[in-house]
Amino acid sequence: METSETRAWYAEFEAASKRSLETRLKYAFIKTYKPVLDDEPYRSFASTAEYRAWCEENLPDWLGYGRV
Amino acid sequence: MGVFEYRQATEVRDAFAKHEVAYLFIGKAGAVLLGFPDTTQDVDVFVQKSEQNGLRLVAALLQLGFALTDKQQLEIRQGRDFVQLNNGPFDLDLLFGPDGIERFEDAWSRREEVEGFMVCSIDDIIASKKSANRAKDRESLPRLEAFRTYLQTRGRNRTEKDV
Repeated sequence: METSETRAWYAEFEAASKRSLETRLKYAFIKTYKPVLDDEPYRSFASTAEYRAWCEENLPDWLGYGRV
Repeated sequence: MGVFEYRQATEVRDAFAKHEVAYLFIGKAGAVLLGFPDTTQDVDVFVQKSEQNGLRLVAALLQLGFALTDKQQLEIRQGRDFVQLNNGPFDLDLLFGPDGIERFEDAWSRREEVEGFMVCSIDDIIASKKSANRAKDRESLPRLEAFRTYLQTRGRNRTEKDV
């Protein structure tokens, strides 16, 4: 069902479709410090499940990496 | 570490093409490449898990300026399911087994190509986020699903105009 919110989104999508890829990327990627996550230069996990569990155990909840 | 910029995106695209890496942008970065207007901090790349592709990927990452130790290169070649790189010109997450997608080959057959960038289909991006089921995914899903509807509708409108 189309709501005023989805209508506004469609208008945003249509406006975005007229921008170049370079412009879209310029405004899409942001960088803020993420505690714990950004504190090591490299991490690897044998499985995605292991990575998800690590996120839940080590990252603050407000970062949003925990499963619902 | 700086923000991921268009120039760096093209360098990734060109290095991966040069070394013939089998890859697909996924997650919100992939959606942005498809035209989704939103912000993200994560650059996620779904990579085919194979010894040969791992070798090609390591060569491309070294060319891009990632400082990989021998042990890290070995892990990437072996294709551990999730590798987080904060040791290069920008942050990059390598996913060899993302949630919600059975095989790389399946996602590859459904891929979109945007100005030379290989990108997961919007269906696969949504399926992956649904399966991961994190708080941040839940927040972005309604808008991503609306974007999928928009893409489908736009496709229909174009077809009708072409007739």
